[in-house]
Amino acid sequence: MAEERKETKPKKRMTATRAAASIGPMVKEFITGTLQARAEGRQKLAYTFIVCHHEEIFRAMDVLPIWTENFAGICGAKRDAERFLQRAESLGLSRSLCTYALCGIGFDQWREELGEMPPDAPWGGQARPDFMISSGQILCDPRSKWYQASQQFMPDVPIYNIDLPYPLFEKDQDHREVRGYYHRYIVQQLRGLVAFLEEQTRKKMDYDRLEELVDLSDRTWNLIDETYRLRSAIPCPMGTGDAMNTMVPICFMMATQKAYDFFVDLKKELEEKIAKGEGEVEKEKYRLMWGGGLPAWYALNDFNYFNSKGASFPAETTYRMIASLHEMDLPETKDPIEHLAWRWLGYWTFWYDRARKRPGSEPDVERLINWIEEYKIDGIVMHEAFSCRTWHVGLIWQLHQLAKIYKPIPVYVIGKDGMKEKVYRELPSLILESDIIDITSYSEMDTRNKIDAFIETLESNRLNKAA
Amino acid sequence: MIDKESNIFDKLKNYYDNYGLRARELKEEGKKVIGYVCSFVPLEIITASGCIPFRVRGDLREPITTGDTLLETIVCPYYRSCFDLSVKGRYDFLSGMVIPHACDSMVRSYSAWSYSLPYPYSHFVNIPSVCGESSFEFFDEELNTFRRSLERFVGKAIRDEDLLRAIEAHNENRDKVRALYELRKNDPPLISGTELTMTLTVGSSLPIDESQGLLDQVLSEVRERASSPLKRGPRILIDGACLDNIELIRLVEELGGNVVADTICNGARDCFPRTEMDGNPIRALSRRYLDRVNCPKTYRANKSSTFEGDIANRFGDIGAYAKEFKVDGAILYVYKYCDPFGFEVPGRKAYYQSIHVPMLHLEDIYSAGTIGQLRTRIQAFLEMIG
Repeated sequence: MAEERKETKPKKRMTATRAAASIGPMVKEFITGTLQARAEGRQKLAYTFIVCHHEEIFRAMDVLPIWTENFAGICGAKRDAERFLQRAESLGLSRSLCTYALCGIGFDQWREELGEMPPDAPWGGQARPDFMISSGQILCDPRSKWYQASQQFMPDVPIYNIDLPYPLFEKDQDHREVRGYYHRYIVQQLRGLVAFLEEQTRKKMDYDRLEELVDLSDRTWNLIDETYRLRSAIPCPMGTGDAMNTMVPICFMMATQKAYDFFVDLKKELEEKIAKGEGEVEKEKYRLMWGGGLPAWYALNDFNYFNSKGASFPAETTYRMIASLHEMDLPETKDPIEHLAWRWLGYWTFWYDRARKRPGSEPDVERLINWIEEYKIDGIVMHEAFSCRTWHVGLIWQLHQLAKIYKPIPVYVIGKDGMKEKVYRELPSLILESDIIDITSYSEMDTRNKIDAFIETLESNRLNKAA
Repeated sequence: MIDKESNIFDKLKNYYDNYGLRARELKEEGKKVIGYVCSFVPLEIITASGCIPFRVRGDLREPITTGDTLLETIVCPYYRSCFDLSVKGRYDFLSGMVIPHACDSMVRSYSAWSYSLPYPYSHFVNIPSVCGESSFEFFDEELNTFRRSLERFVGKAIRDEDLLRAIEAHNENRDKVRALYELRKNDPPLISGTELTMTLTVGSSLPIDESQGLLDQVLSEVRERASSPLKRGPRILIDGACLDNIELIRLVEELGGNVVADTICNGARDCFPRTEMDGNPIRALSRRYLDRVNCPKTYRANKSSTFEGDIANRFGDIGAYAKEFKVDGAILYVYKYCDPFGFEVPGRKAYYQSIHVPMLHLEDIYSAGTIGQLRTRIQAFLEMIG
């Protein structure tokens, strides 16, 4: 049976930093920890999603989060998602839907059917949760539909759906006009989560502990920002390939001392590399930005391929903290829940003011422009994952708008009168197409041919760039 | 399927084939026409502002071209078609566009819409994903933001009494649509599904008073019919998202089915829930749009602790329509890349089994190119249940 077969193990990606290399065992330990906690029954386990700014609440209540997107990503990275995707399809779910969710639902259905983990489940499998915390954010439909679909196979596992909106950018409206009621709503939603967890765990929230954890997260947040900004050095000491590893403490371990310590170490490592002039690639020729999209987890080796052509990735818009909290316009509050809500709004609206000031700009486009300048970027690479509308719709338009309003490359061309004249070109861009975990959508040959052609464009720009 | 001798259906067909004809005339008369997509945009606020709400629709027969240079092909195909037609200028008579938070395709493409189209007005209405008391408080505020935004655009205040009048007018319109649905209860139905969907599609391109007038004429004409335009056949319910064209329904009816009920957006989902007045018009609208428009986008908690109880709660309207319209079978028609509906397919399948209504699930891409494949599958389904 096709679904019983595992695919070939991928070649391991080379990392530039020790910190990134240490991530694999860390994730494995984390997955094993949830399985052990399930077996011992010492902690309540909750399925949940990343980027919800609710980790502090979980940890203060001693609830162990199971990051279901993480487990699907692991299945993808191990090239072992297909059998779970096929399970989901057999239930009537289309392959065009979020494949993280399909993988998770297929896995859950199989585990519930067997009453034990599916055979050879990656890293021992995903533990059965005590409850599921879904999230009706403004950016991701599957986050409010996935667990509802999984509940068909686990009807005894309750769901709490937390609504976390933010004001969408309007060219002619200052978001501060509306953020008061957005904030009130998010606070009510987070308090609802606390009440749900109190009921499920039969424990009261320890607000002093929560405050400490929020403070720890904030400090980690700022430390991550400081650390990542070191990547603007020439040559760049750490690229996006590594950042797809170091996203683990950012997305799955916030509000833990371990995450903070991880970035202390990474910062030190990057500072040492910069002092020694060590780059991600030996002879850095091109500096690229990963300008949007989740990676193809089974094809992270493509970053090494870019590296082999002299291309480094000092910045990415995926899995970033945007900016330090000091730079955000966050109102003061002593209430940790209120702070979480302000931080959430600050995170999403950070680029709004700047975007409003630049004609034709928009927050996502503005972020690209700012980081192109800060990280001295020569080209943009994006990834269109066919199954995810959340992160992948709007990327083409962003590139289109960027090219319209921002032409930073000076080149000489022969003008009408036969004389050399200086003109400005837009930044070259490359859109790769496949999926987050569905390997059937990926062709290594096509991808690398596209990369080769893109590198030729970068080289042409490099040679023709006007002094 | 359309009665060729009938004046009202001739007029309807003209408006359907030349969608936006009347809106363009109104624009030329100096009226402001505001485009919208989806059932979540509170039309009453647009009507109360003195503008005319106009539902932007796609075109199955128009290849998507310019739209694909700006939006990814992984966007819901229906929505891609709407965007493509808009950027090609099909709706150049619009003065603005309102997009709600109904799905990722809408949220993530909002900038593409608002920057790529030459309309002087655009607004995004943020719809909560859950239905708790705090969600209603938030939504009240959000609707007031929409109200203020439109006030700035039209340069005049939208008073409560304007809103109340608009609510009344839209409720009357819904009552007339409900009356039209009553005519589907005959066996065979007095009005075909093709005629009904064409009527509702055209109605959503007209000012509310003209839509009411249209419905009155259709009601009057159909009530006078001595017989059905259809031969008796399996009574079919169409379940799904927005079906703004008659192609699928006409296909079912050409193959011998009688389309007698639906849950679609420009059908029962949109037209059945009335706005219950409680003095505060904004609160009344927030209750209607958030709680009573039954879309998979809105998360409804499982209060029963059983799967059976959950699906009975979420899909109970299907069972009620199946009973009320004596349905023999259902077609669950879902667009590719539609996450809100797509994730509900197993649950909906289970629900149909629980109410013993045979169901055919079709995933489609909003293109006339798939009609042949659909024909084969629908034919087999009708034969199976016939």
